[in-house]
Amino acid sequence: MVKPTRVTNSIRSLRFANGEMTQAELADRVGVTRQTIIAIEQGRYSPTLEMAFQIARVFRVPLDEAFQYADEQG
Amino acid sequence: MTFMEKSNWVVLVVAVPTLLVYAAVVLSQVLGTPIAEVSWVQPMVFAIVGFIVANVLGNVVAAASNPGEADKNDQRDREIDHFGERIGNWLMIAGSIAALVLAMAMADHFWIANAIFLGGMAASIVSSVTKIAAYRGSFQSW
Repeated sequence: MVKPTRVTNSIRSLRFANGEMTQAELADRVGVTRQTIIAIEQGRYSPTLEMAFQIARVFRVPLDEAFQYADEQG
Repeated sequence: MTFMEKSNWVVLVVAVPTLLVYAAVVLSQVLGTPIAEVSWVQPMVFAIVGFIVANVLGNVVAAASNPGEADKNDQRDREIDHFGERIGNWLMIAGSIAALVLAMAMADHFWIANAIFLGGMAASIVSSVTKIAAYRGSFQSW
């Protein structure tokens, strides 16, 4: 449950780059609750692949611009 | 806070006092009375019915506090719900196995019924605590 994720995201900066879109507005457009967007932004929840695509599509960016997977640390 | 998280708080807030009051009522008799004479059926029925009614009322209040959110749930809510229920189910199974063993050992009805009751209440409490912890902290379903 508390396993750390290496998936990071740029949702916060993408929201600001898109007219300071609110978390509530993004949640409405993706069809999830605002709390889920907050959890994803804070790295407390990794979305499903489908939800990740939906989020990227809202910002009209490729998936790997919205979500990144960090290299393993040596 | 999503409706599903509020709903779990309702379960927790209702289940803990229900269990404590039931335990206080029944244990106060157990100490000075033979088990076969302990009056446990009525307190248990009151506890179960009270738990269900209070849960329904609590959910109605939670829904009324933010009607727009009441019917909303998403992938994360469902994953957290499944995760919490899976953990709670183990306690329910443990209570059932304990009841089965007690029945095989010809134990008094008191012990059999209470093993099932405690398993169910413990399952509700642990399941809701697990879900609330998942909502408040980090949750990854994989």
